Amino acid sequence: MKIRPLEGRRLLTIILVAAFAWSLFNVDWGSGLVNTGGLRAAGHIASSILRPDLSLDVLDKAIRASWTTVAYAVAGLTLALAIGFPLGVLGSGVLFRSSWLRRFNVAGTRLVLAFFRSIHELVWAWLFVVAFGLSPLAAVLALGIPYGGILGRIYSELLQDVPEAPLRALRSAGASEWRVFWFGRLPMALPDMLSYTFYRLECGIRSAAILSFVGLGGLGFQIRISLDDLAYGRVWTFLFFLIALVSLVDVWSSMVRRRITA
Amino acid sequence: MSLASLESSRTEAAQAVSLSGLSKAYGPIEALAPLSLTVAAGETVAILGPSGSGKTTLLLLLSGQLGPSSGAVTLVGREIAQLSPGKELAQLVGMIHQQFDLVPNISALHNVLAGRLGEWGLFKSLVSLVWPQDRPMGMEALARVGVADRAELRAGRLSGGEQQRVAIARLLLQDPAIVLADEPVASLDQARAGEVIRLLVRIARDSGKTLISSMHSVELARAHFDRLIGLRNGIVQFDLPSSQVADDMLLALYDIKGLRRED
Repeated sequence: MKIRPLEGRRLLTIILVAAFAWSLFNVDWGSGLVNTGGLRAAGHIASSILRPDLSLDVLDKAIRASWTTVAYAVAGLTLALAIGFPLGVLGSGVLFRSSWLRRFNVAGTRLVLAFFRSIHELVWAWLFVVAFGLSPLAAVLALGIPYGGILGRIYSELLQDVPEAPLRALRSAGASEWRVFWFGRLPMALPDMLSYTFYRLECGIRSAAILSFVGLGGLGFQIRISLDDLAYGRVWTFLFFLIALVSLVDVWSSMVRRRITA
Repeated sequence: MSLASLESSRTEAAQAVSLSGLSKAYGPIEALAPLSLTVAAGETVAILGPSGSGKTTLLLLLSGQLGPSSGAVTLVGREIAQLSPGKELAQLVGMIHQQFDLVPNISALHNVLAGRLGEWGLFKSLVSLVWPQDRPMGMEALARVGVADRAELRAGRLSGGEQQRVAIARLLLQDPAIVLADEPVASLDQARAGEVIRLLVRIARDSGKTLISSMHSVELARAHFDRLIGLRNGIVQFDLPSSQVADDMLLALYDIKGLRRED
């Protein structure tokens, strides 16, 4: 029997849904997963949301930890940009007229980008902590490499997806592909590239907080210590600082975006 | 360098465009039947015809963006197939489109200066991203099309009429011998369309450029162009000075009966 494309797609959907349903029956929903004292602990955690620890000592720690977290995130994203922009441009293949060269380049660059981003930042962090010890360098590399892979991938797609007509007009005015890139492609892709980069900065702040669980310092490190002390009020203080940081980036990003697109 | 010195630097040839047995087929469909004609330097020609008659195909062949099925295009004495795409072609022929095709999020001035990208070295092009190069030339062109006060605005924020003026200014900097326009005012309202066509024709005449434009408005074509060519189903129906084109010829040109079904 020959399967036509549309039938094939439907068949795939049915198989995937069936696989999902089957997986539900294969999870052990039994007692092993549930901590019986957990409900009380959850109650504690929930009720302390109204009583965050605002003592000067804790606030001082929170501000310092926030600063460390932001510094890691910004440094990591800077490295990510240095990796992602050039590789994204190469990987988009837009600078090559010869189709053989383009395909070779796109495939090669995409492979490198996929390698960078398929390993999670936490795993990179473990690797680099083993290599460099608990140093800021380990944290920045651990963030910058996978984020560079992600940015490169997204940039290359955004650069490919700009409207063709204005580019054709530039070419017919005698512009080479490099000039078309700088005067047409990049300006048209830039607002989306920027807004995605800001989104990544947000993710970077959350990731930097998580990385600090490894012991690199920052908000996550403080949260872990407080959790170990069962000091949920303090946990919430640090979490509120994390939320504030992410919101700040959000506001900043929409301000920049408004200036670029308006 | 000023605009005027740029324009005088290119020599005129008596014959701007010469087509010999030019045709184009898309598979079994003949978009343009074999066509031979010449256009003198400085002439303004409007191509008329119902949609699907082959107007755009003809313009794309003239601009070198499309290769012919047979025949050849000669521009200012040089066969188009022998020209390298890019700078060499850009000096001979430039094109304006219905949708203006500006880069929406850079300034009008930057869009105009992009007409010089074929001339600039890569370094000069990159510097120009930050400090616009040849700025006086760009401002002069914008003034000539009447939108100098819009120079610093992003092109996407301009009205349709203003965008088409900026596109014309870009062409002034590109300075080709032949200007092609594909229904340049079809997406503008009537008043704006009249203004822009008058501007386009005046600029072509003032600078001695050859203008070939497909037109969707018969009145504008008759009022402003020297010569009208009527195309129908890829076949030339008439090719006459505007004053000699009679009403019944135009009626026959646009008559629904006998038009190709795929139009």
